[in-house]
Amino acid sequence: MTGFVNPCAPEDAPIVGRNSPRLDSTVKVTGRAVYTVDIEKPGMLHAKVLRSPHAHARILSIDAAAARSLPGVTAVVTREEITGLNSYGTYVKDQPVVATESVRYVGDVVAAVAAVDERTAFAALDLISVQYEQLPAVFDVRAAMEPSAPAIFPDQPFAAYPEYGDGASGAAHTAHNVSYEFRYETGEESVWADCDYIFEDTFTFSRMNHMHLEPFATVAEATANEIEVWTSTQSPFPMRKELARVFGLPENDVRVNVPLLGGGFGAKNGPKTEAIAIRLSQLSAGRPVRYCMSTEEVFLTLSQHDAILTVKSGLKADGEFMARQSRVLLNGGAYADASPLVAEKAGYRMPGAYRWKRIDSVCQAVITNSVPAGAYRGFGATQATWASERQVDLIAERLGFDPLELRLKNAKELGEEFVPGESPIDSDLKHGLNLVADAIGYRDRTRSSNRGMGVAIGIKDGGGVNKPAQARVKVTTNGDVFLNCALVEMGQGGHSALCQIVAETLACDPKRVKYAAIDTDNTPFDQGTNASSGIAVMGHAVLQAAERVKCSVLDTAAEHLMLDRQSIRLDNWHIVDAEGTTYELPPLIMDRFGGTGFEFTADGYYKVRNSSSAPLEAPCIFWEIGWAAAEVEVDPETGRVELLQLVVSGDAGKVVNKLGCRGQDEGAAVFGLAQALFEELRYEDGELLNGEALLYRVPLAEDIPRLFSSITQEQGHGAGPFGTKGMGEGGMLPIAPAIAQAIADATGAQLTSLPMTPERVYNGIRAARLRQGGADGNA
Amino acid sequence: MSLESPESSEERFAHKVEFELNGSPERHCVPTSATVLDLLRNSCGKQGVRASCERSVCGACTVLVDDLPVAACSTFAFDVDGTRVETVEGLAAQDGTLSAQQQAFRECGGFQCGFCTSGMLMLTTALLRQNPQPERDQIREWISSNTCRCTGYEMILESVERAAELASAKQQDQVSE
Repeated sequence: MTGFVNPCAPEDAPIVGRNSPRLDSTVKVTGRAVYTVDIEKPGMLHAKVLRSPHAHARILSIDAAAARSLPGVTAVVTREEITGLNSYGTYVKDQPVVATESVRYVGDVVAAVAAVDERTAFAALDLISVQYEQLPAVFDVRAAMEPSAPAIFPDQPFAAYPEYGDGASGAAHTAHNVSYEFRYETGEESVWADCDYIFEDTFTFSRMNHMHLEPFATVAEATANEIEVWTSTQSPFPMRKELARVFGLPENDVRVNVPLLGGGFGAKNGPKTEAIAIRLSQLSAGRPVRYCMSTEEVFLTLSQHDAILTVKSGLKADGEFMARQSRVLLNGGAYADASPLVAEKAGYRMPGAYRWKRIDSVCQAVITNSVPAGAYRGFGATQATWASERQVDLIAERLGFDPLELRLKNAKELGEEFVPGESPIDSDLKHGLNLVADAIGYRDRTRSSNRGMGVAIGIKDGGGVNKPAQARVKVTTNGDVFLNCALVEMGQGGHSALCQIVAETLACDPKRVKYAAIDTDNTPFDQGTNASSGIAVMGHAVLQAAERVKCSVLDTAAEHLMLDRQSIRLDNWHIVDAEGTTYELPPLIMDRFGGTGFEFTADGYYKVRNSSSAPLEAPCIFWEIGWAAAEVEVDPETGRVELLQLVVSGDAGKVVNKLGCRGQDEGAAVFGLAQALFEELRYEDGELLNGEALLYRVPLAEDIPRLFSSITQEQGHGAGPFGTKGMGEGGMLPIAPAIAQAIADATGAQLTSLPMTPERVYNGIRAARLRQGGADGNA
Repeated sequence: MSLESPESSEERFAHKVEFELNGSPERHCVPTSATVLDLLRNSCGKQGVRASCERSVCGACTVLVDDLPVAACSTFAFDVDGTRVETVEGLAAQDGTLSAQQQAFRECGGFQCGFCTSGMLMLTTALLRQNPQPERDQIREWISSNTCRCTGYEMILESVERAAELASAKQQDQVSE
């Protein structure tokens, strides 16, 4: 991928770029949208699980006899019933279907019950008696790495990981309680000797829950030889592969159906409710089993990674960035889940948007006795951007530079490679910085006490690594179109955008394009709905399929009408010739193919080519950038921050659906706003204190600043169809650092921990006053 | 949700509940512990009523009882005896024509995953009945009772403003007819 070829957008693109309502709007505003939680099957049973009350304990015995004999109970799954089943996880396969020798966090699943209703299932759980021997537990990442800390996995679980390219390496189990370690380096170590200043700072990053409104849910119908699930997953095919592996079945005996998702944000990758529902169904004579978690259970299932990030940066006296070293510890919780991939990405993204002569990053995912952490909107880049951007502001203050000017001086140019072997930057980063800065009046402001402004930029390699996508388009005799591909609709508007691409190509009304139901028996293969890959990766496969269908229709028509193939075009399921004469297609097709007609069908495929010089197997298809600018007013007496203005911007490359792009940037920005100011999972001695909706504070309409806006840029350099790039995560990245700098600008308080609660801000202001007092005293 | 199977717990079906649902009469026998959410989703087939936090925090299950928004997850089914209940299914006209609120959310992109949308629409319906021309501050205050994890809210606030415009235009059309 050059990343710079701008595939010609059609001169007059009437469908792509429209400000039209999404195609799923009617089902969603009428309540007719069907999610996994709405799936009901005749004779359906209900599952509930028993969870560990201990953070770390050996299971001595489980007595489930009374539960098994309770009327209405059809099956109980304990470690006895999962003999022979494999454990699951991305790279590191360490999570069993239910706990075997030990439990590793409060909430770890110990047993599961299927019964005629949820009440009976709950009653059965009360009858299961588990004897534990408590083991020492560890919750802090640094403590977990001490040799004296308990080994959470005494035997190292099976792990497989990719072959990295130039400068990158990765390995499992590199240190005590480390599930995975990623390293990247480029440039000479000697660069450090040329630096005039070197600063080292440590930042901490908090942990949030995804809080998707639709909980994890699955309905499974399974026998020993055949599995079918309806499930709320972002990754139908990786799910099929993993379930086939867990249950030791060929992939064509596992069928995964995916309805609409009520939000995902990364949480719905990898098995959650699936394996338990399947095993219970197998033990209930194949009756369908529904396992739908409560919100409280969702809190005990997956979270974001909290992190400690130490960054050392070297500069020249004029502010030129020279060298950056980073050491990142991610709290991966009790099971690896997607931690290896998040570690890879967090480590890789530590350089941020800037030019360095030397980069040296190490990121370790640490196992602790807490809720497993996995994929979360931003995927390591949120952590990296917090530390990277915050340190730029700290350095600017120390050396007396304006934070915006220091960024503009060091930001990469459009077309400059991120690191050797990687794709060039495909957005004008400085343009975006100036855009958001100007939008809040950064340069024209008049100083007033307790008010301040900050600007930040976040960057992540988008579209996933080594990610293939396939798609199929078929058109009936009458011109009704099906799009068949496995991009899951979880709110991002992907179905609608892809249907628009098909409609654009076939020159038909988007309403005539139906996004077919996702079912791994019939839907073409794909690697999952993640990494903002929908438009840039799947979009290519869809475009190719649609173009091939169009070619096939035009070939058939040209031959049948004896017209020059190059002189005809398709318009609203008519053929139009050079003179403008139109020919209806249905009679032509009936005439040509006979019977009840014909369906034109074609497949598309896309994947960025692998390259051994690309650090992460293949160069990324696009760069997802988020720019933000914030203005705050801080009450110095209480530390309370009022967000006066927030502007977020992303570069869509080329907009397919305006409402969709705007919604992605604003939604992502509000995740960032919440992480910046209040939202976090709070722990005390490893115990989650706010793991339920009443206590867990998510942003509400009243938290949004009165001046909140997004700017969707169309810089036109994207490598996706029509010059598009992916959206959805970039907007989250720069928000917390922009707000942090606004607070620093207002009060002098330089915060290094999230969220920036009134207490932290108040203490930061006091520390800043002491610092200034000290400086005055020295002067 | 689906807390109990009708077969297993007949003796607990202690309450007769009669109410009006989207303009039609409904009669059900419900156990004491049944919520309005159970009643509407499981007995009345109104699956547009969404279940999420089940702690009356998120508002995904918001329905109207005698014009007021309530959290169906945290209201007992016996409490709606003799009331008028409205769900998202009752918003559109019989012929499928969308209501002003539905049109506005559609047009302004006031939804993404759609899981909060039924609740947001019912909240909007109640607000516009109380005040057909609400200011931004009042809209913000009302919408703050429900959670949307996707949109960042701005497009929902715009949708409610647009719904007020569309509703008042519709009303003027009717007057002029």
